[in-house]
Amino acid sequence: MITQTAPSTPRASAPSSPVHQRRRRKPSLYRTLSRVLILLIVIVQVYPLAWLFLTSLRTEQDFATGDPFALPSSLTWENYARAFETGDLGRNILNSFIVTMGANILIVLFGMMAAYAIQVLGFRLSRFVRALFLIGIIVPVQIALVPLFIDYSAVNLLDTYQSMIIPLAGFALPMSIYLFSSFFEYIPRETYEAASLDGAGPYRIFGLITLPLSLNTVVTVVLVNSIFIWNDFIFANTFVLSEDLKTIPLGLQNYIGAMGKVDWTATFAAVCVTITPLLLVFLVLNKAMIQGLESGATKG
Amino acid sequence: MLPNRSRTSVLVFLLPPLLLYCAAVLFPILQSLFLSFFSWNGISEMEFVGLQNYVRMLTADDIFWRSFFNALLYLAICLVLQLGGALVVASLLTSLRRGRELIKTLYLLPAVISTVAIAFLFVRIYSIDPVGLLNQLLHWVGLGSLERAWLSDVNTVLAAVSAPEGWRFTGLYMLIIYAALIAVPKELEEAAVLDGASKWTLFTKIRFPYIRPVWITTTIMATTYGLRGFDIPYLMTNGGPGQSSELLTTYMYKTAFTSTDFGYASTISVFIVIECLVAVGLILFMLKRKADS
Repeated sequence: MITQTAPSTPRASAPSSPVHQRRRRKPSLYRTLSRVLILLIVIVQVYPLAWLFLTSLRTEQDFATGDPFALPSSLTWENYARAFETGDLGRNILNSFIVTMGANILIVLFGMMAAYAIQVLGFRLSRFVRALFLIGIIVPVQIALVPLFIDYSAVNLLDTYQSMIIPLAGFALPMSIYLFSSFFEYIPRETYEAASLDGAGPYRIFGLITLPLSLNTVVTVVLVNSIFIWNDFIFANTFVLSEDLKTIPLGLQNYIGAMGKVDWTATFAAVCVTITPLLLVFLVLNKAMIQGLESGATKG
Repeated sequence: MLPNRSRTSVLVFLLPPLLLYCAAVLFPILQSLFLSFFSWNGISEMEFVGLQNYVRMLTADDIFWRSFFNALLYLAICLVLQLGGALVVASLLTSLRRGRELIKTLYLLPAVISTVAIAFLFVRIYSIDPVGLLNQLLHWVGLGSLERAWLSDVNTVLAAVSAPEGWRFTGLYMLIIYAALIAVPKELEEAAVLDGASKWTLFTKIRFPYIRPVWITTTIMATTYGLRGFDIPYLMTNGGPGQSSELLTTYMYKTAFTSTDFGYASTISVFIVIECLVAVGLILFMLKRKADS
């Protein structure tokens, strides 16, 4: 995997002849530089998040006057208490959980079904249907806001969990169908033929062969979609008005008080609370997720 | 095709997903197209106005054009940060021996965090009173004259709202490009090195051409995502001050849900869809042609 032109000897400081040193110095300078660069970029990526967490532990006094880079002069959990008082964090997390679960069930089940029909069963218009689904990957979600708002108010779906779940699942479906069909391609035809000879119909083959074999792809699809659904702002902001149904992204907005005055330390505490569930899942399962993201895009 | 399948079984598997997809995606697209020929505020009678909305948008609406050019600049900044940054980091990462997994994870972290949280975070990073990270950093490195309220300065606000979007997804694209880079056959690279190829030649003549298909995918992803960018500018500045950070998407949203001008808002969203399709077409055309030459 290492594509270096560098010699395989470690960058030892052991004395060696000038010739050797010259041959070694060039690549190792390059390596040091690239390492420093990587480190700098990682700091830019991660430091704001670390700062977010540290700020949530600062006292308000310290925050208002202090140097933003300095470590907090004293640590306090008071912001977290205030964060829970100000908003309805528990409710928001529960709502986000319901919406994420609901949408994921639809995305996985329907995605698998459509991919099965297109890739395994096959039918005359399958190419056309596949192309139809592709539109959903390219088209921005904003196009659906006005029509869905009108339609939902006509059928009384505004301000319900469904009003968020339906568009979130609908727009995620194409990618999930794509991932499932690329996986189904790898299931050998012989497996199906053998099952058919034994008398299994399309439903039993789906339930007994395709579905159990796809579990890895299911994990990938769920992880990738959960990030986007858990963090969805635009559908929730457009279709949900009542406090009871607000998901995390909307709940966070409550921390901006009247006249735009913001209780920053409490806000940052709230942000920390709300990003924790997804962050934990991500850190535990990041291998699966990274693999999923990589394979999803490199196949395309 | 499966031997014992029947027409019913195809329908059983295909219809439910297709219905959901039509209800949430296809039908609304057609409905937007339909609405764009009407003038309607959601309450009164719908009035057919033909192409009038389109004429108004293209010839008489300064805010539309302002938002359009803002959106292009927003896209450009996102692309440089996401694709440029991703390519640099991915290339550097291939030469690293240890800690790659850790770096990939750390780098992907911002993509996991909600846009609302990111908007809050960056409002604070840009702030001047109390002093935020950016201004403090400028002060330290002796560029104190550049300190400013980034989000209320009309000259900097657009760049300031674009950067967070670029920042949060760099890790995602890095991951994809990195996966492609490590798949480049080592024999090719070794042969080139034996022939005396420099690092730069190695990159431009071997690695990059090899990962071109993935590069096209990521460019299309980043472009379509950039063109639909909404949350962060909407939350940080709501398009202001004035219209200096208004994007087509935020303008469309306000036209629909603040001015309740549903017909005209649909016209703008039809334009956004066309813009996305044209962009994807252009990318495919340019990158394919380059590959052929």
